[in-house]
Amino acid sequence: MTEHAEGHDHGLPPKSSVKRWLVTTNHKDIGTLYIVTALFFLVAGGLLALLIRTQLWSPGGTILGGQGYNQAVSAHGLLMVFWFISPFAFGFANYVVPLQIGAKDLAFPRLNALSYWLYLFSGLLFMASFFLGSTFAGGWTMYAPLNVPTFIPDIAEVGSLAAILALVLFVASVTVSSVNFLTTMYRMRAEGLRMRDMPMFSITILLTVWMMLFAFAALLAAFVLLSADHLLGTVYFSNDSGGSLLWTHLFWFFGHPEVYIVFFPALGIMAETFQTFSGKRLVGRKWFILAMLLVALQSFVVWMHHMFLTGINLPIKTIFMATTIGISLPFDLMIFSLIYTLIKGKVRFTTPFLFSLGGVLLFIIGGITGVFLGAIVLDYTFRGTYWVVAHFHYVMVGGVTALIGGLYYWFPKITGKMYDEFLGKVHFGTYFVGFNLLYFPMFVVWETPRRVFEYDAGFTLWHRIATIGGFLLAASFLVMFYNLFKSLHSDAEADDCPWEYASSAEWTVPSPPPLENFPGIASYADGKLSFLDRSAADGGAAGDRATDGGTDQAADGGTVTRLIRSADPVGAEVYETTETGHADHASYWPLIVSATAFVTFLGLSGVAKPYVVWPFLFALPVFIGYIGVEGMRRDGLGWAHYLCWALAAVTLAGVAVLFGIDKGSLAAGFAGASPYFYITLVGAATGYASLVAMGWESFSVPEPAIAERWPFAAVENTKLGMWFFLGTDVVLFGAFIGSYLFMRVANGWAHWHEELIPAAHTTLPGLINTYLLLTSSFAVVIALVAARRRNQRALLAYLALTFALGVGFLVNKAIEWEHLFNLHGGAFEGGWTFTTNVASSTFYVTTGLHALHVVVGLLITLFLFVRASRGAYLGEGNAETIEYFGLYWHFVDIVWLFLFPLFYIL
Amino acid sequence: MWGVAVLHDSVVGHAGGVSRTPVDVFSSIYTVFLALGTIVGVVVIGYTLYNAVKYRRGNREGTESKADVVRPELGELPRGSGGGRKLFVSFGISAVIVISLIIWTYSALLYVDSGPDEGDELEVDVVGQRFSWTFVYPNGHQTTQLRVPKDRPVELNVTSADVFHNIGIPEFNAKTDAIPGQTTTTWFVPDELGTYQAVCYELCGSGHSVMRSDVIVMQSDAYQNWYANTSTQQASADADATNAVAGGPA
Repeated sequence: MTEHAEGHDHGLPPKSSVKRWLVTTNHKDIGTLYIVTALFFLVAGGLLALLIRTQLWSPGGTILGGQGYNQAVSAHGLLMVFWFISPFAFGFANYVVPLQIGAKDLAFPRLNALSYWLYLFSGLLFMASFFLGSTFAGGWTMYAPLNVPTFIPDIAEVGSLAAILALVLFVASVTVSSVNFLTTMYRMRAEGLRMRDMPMFSITILLTVWMMLFAFAALLAAFVLLSADHLLGTVYFSNDSGGSLLWTHLFWFFGHPEVYIVFFPALGIMAETFQTFSGKRLVGRKWFILAMLLVALQSFVVWMHHMFLTGINLPIKTIFMATTIGISLPFDLMIFSLIYTLIKGKVRFTTPFLFSLGGVLLFIIGGITGVFLGAIVLDYTFRGTYWVVAHFHYVMVGGVTALIGGLYYWFPKITGKMYDEFLGKVHFGTYFVGFNLLYFPMFVVWETPRRVFEYDAGFTLWHRIATIGGFLLAASFLVMFYNLFKSLHSDAEADDCPWEYASSAEWTVPSPPPLENFPGIASYADGKLSFLDRSAADGGAAGDRATDGGTDQAADGGTVTRLIRSADPVGAEVYETTETGHADHASYWPLIVSATAFVTFLGLSGVAKPYVVWPFLFALPVFIGYIGVEGMRRDGLGWAHYLCWALAAVTLAGVAVLFGIDKGSLAAGFAGASPYFYITLVGAATGYASLVAMGWESFSVPEPAIAERWPFAAVENTKLGMWFFLGTDVVLFGAFIGSYLFMRVANGWAHWHEELIPAAHTTLPGLINTYLLLTSSFAVVIALVAARRRNQRALLAYLALTFALGVGFLVNKAIEWEHLFNLHGGAFEGGWTFTTNVASSTFYVTTGLHALHVVVGLLITLFLFVRASRGAYLGEGNAETIEYFGLYWHFVDIVWLFLFPLFYIL
Repeated sequence: MWGVAVLHDSVVGHAGGVSRTPVDVFSSIYTVFLALGTIVGVVVIGYTLYNAVKYRRGNREGTESKADVVRPELGELPRGSGGGRKLFVSFGISAVIVISLIIWTYSALLYVDSGPDEGDELEVDVVGQRFSWTFVYPNGHQTTQLRVPKDRPVELNVTSADVFHNIGIPEFNAKTDAIPGQTTTTWFVPDELGTYQAVCYELCGSGHSVMRSDVIVMQSDAYQNWYANTSTQQASADADATNAVAGGPA
């Protein structure tokens, strides 16, 4: 690749234009967007904190009323934990990780942009919730049943639901991100860079995204169940026999790994900066990595230490006490490793190092106080007090301290300018003093109850010191913003490597790096970083190089990647040309899809219960019809497009008829719909259309010709991404099934079947559905074989069969549900519906989630069918899309094989 | 091992023939943790700062031989430096400290969890409801003020009528969650006269900050008098209720 002048990046508009930032998919731009946006949310969450501290100036403060204070503490926690700290860390991860591992970008650049825009819009939805009456006011931990409509004041219902849906959108962003990073780090490392050879920051990000993949799925389950309680009236969390505890289990199963998800990137920055600024390699690096791996694994088995007072039995308390203490031990090792790295070092007290070192010291204090909480008998008293608050702020904001160190560390690399060192030290000084003035008094007056603004008069002095500390801490950030802004516009140019003894790959390239990152293909094959000529990868030269197991090379001579597609024989879509492996960098669709999601969820916050599903059903014809429209635009008009439009018309008619029946008449239905209904409808329709457009967009992402790929050398990127996604879906369903089992045990296993489920709920519909789905799985397999053998008619036939069987599944289910909704006589006069009891809630929601997966699968099948009708997917190299879909479809079928016995037989 | 036995007795069971209260248990453990935690914190932080300052660049220049330490180089394949052994020694010491501390507290946990000694404890049911506590005595009397006799252990069986609460009486180290649909337990020994507060420690709504009830510790005979009165009131109230049901005179 030839070097381009700044502002002329391969078709991307220059950085000075707004458009650039809206369409970019480059990891460096996305990283910058994340960092800036996260700082915005830091300010928002920080202002709430200042409100809290002002209220606490005297006991019984009167700045905010009860509901207002609760909103402040809840929103402060949610904003800081979700919308500030992790996205801030992932801003660095986005920017730095590909550079550190020698990649040109992440594996799925458009999805990366999608993650960012989903994050931004989810945060905007959350901020909007303040203005929809009142935001959620039940604490960031959102305990049940305070989180269900029964206990939420009417004025707060819409805003609370908006907050919950904002969190759902945020989890979607995180899930996409984790799939992306995992695929990248396993499949796109430079030659010679084994997993354990990655720089420390990248390793911490790897472990973080592994934890995210599993933990956030559990959180998503919790939020979806909670949303169901709000939107559909189900009774998961208001159930008297276990609803409260169900929430605490789901939330804390996520919540504990979450605190390490939040901390690990900071730990990575500590390791990097301690090495750079002491000029000494990390002591015991191998053990450090092993310790982190242990923590990541153990983080999933400590959650009940948040539940010691919920009446769980002694053996369980003992186990969780042991695992909790167990997880503190690897941290001891890591702290010692950092300290010993200083010995015989050449320590320089630059601003990044000050913040990093400060972060370590604060974490030590936080960690020690955590051991107190692990001693159950002490926890009995500390529960719900400021001891807990002080502990977690020391560890979490200790992490933030190191992240700020990272901001100063990488600022020169990102911007090409050096920040003002004196101002940096001023920031650190005020920050560190402010931090300790704010949080240390909380240990002194630890007996203050959490989330309460009445406290013992004798504590007033300490609370006032804390308030002053809070303002000082906030003020220190003003210094930082001024410093960074001023430096950005100054003349202080930064070198490629402004830090002596920095060693990782990002310091070998210019500040800021060019679009393609490196001057050639990064390689560690010689034991140190070198850059291979990119043209050497084309043609035979690359084939002469010795390869060891795990590296993958160009399969066909002359081309850089094996994903390049030649012009299609049917004369359909023209793909990118082959010789240079040109990559795309810009797309509008991530922004548009995210914006439609914002609109949809905003509308959903206020839709009345009887109207909840209808916007999505009415928008379905848009999806179907738009496949026809887009297909016609891109591939030329064909019979399949007419089929789409016919199907869209039929669907619209069917939905309209059902709507009319449900509401009395079509006119009555629309008359009774609130503005929220129409907002949701617009969001859903535009959302469906933009998803179609994004799926159809030609976006070329050549895989690297030479890379370390252990252990996934044979699984190319898109397939690996699909596997990771399915992994998180497994955990999602696992949480749903686990919730069902938990509630069933809590309510009485036999009682459940005997009293809570009508006799009319028979096995037969489930059995029929099982046969339908299994057959459809076979159909997909045969479709794939047909595609590989270039048999277009068979491919179309079996895709159509899959579609028909799937539709049959849904129709059968609709009949079954309709029957159950309209039962008469006996114990279920009025029908067995979503709201009847906890058994009905779990049945409809769990099998409903599965049905939604089927619907998504069918829409994708339709898309594939229409494209196949124009000649796509034929041949070994092109059929893989059918394979990826097959993986998803088989997963959906396998889930049904678990659900059927649980909900129909046992 | 004699030291361990002393530690054990100091926390658990009957030192000098008097049962330890939850307050005694908490105070002794907390004091030890605080002392040890402070020492460890001071030592580790001090050691860190000491090294950071001692090895700062410019401090030892000229005294260091070139062969001493290999410095990181730009573009190198990441690796660590040695020193694994020292690391393990430190790690081992900290692990021993932490684990023994926790094991030491375990017997205290067993003691607290086993409840007050069988015999004369006063059992009171507690119902948390937004935003106050209702105490139900054995004779059925309900009140929003908890009155207890001095020096007699009190066991609270706690539940909630609506959302998740948590009741705590900080002066006596009583605390437990109040969960709708289930009952949890805590106990304490009110060994000082006076008026205290039972506070809510789990966010429960807009009135959470003011969800407090009085806990009044009285002399034993004063308590007995009060309780007897409530028995009389309760008996007549019961009688009224029975009469009302039976349709008899009001």
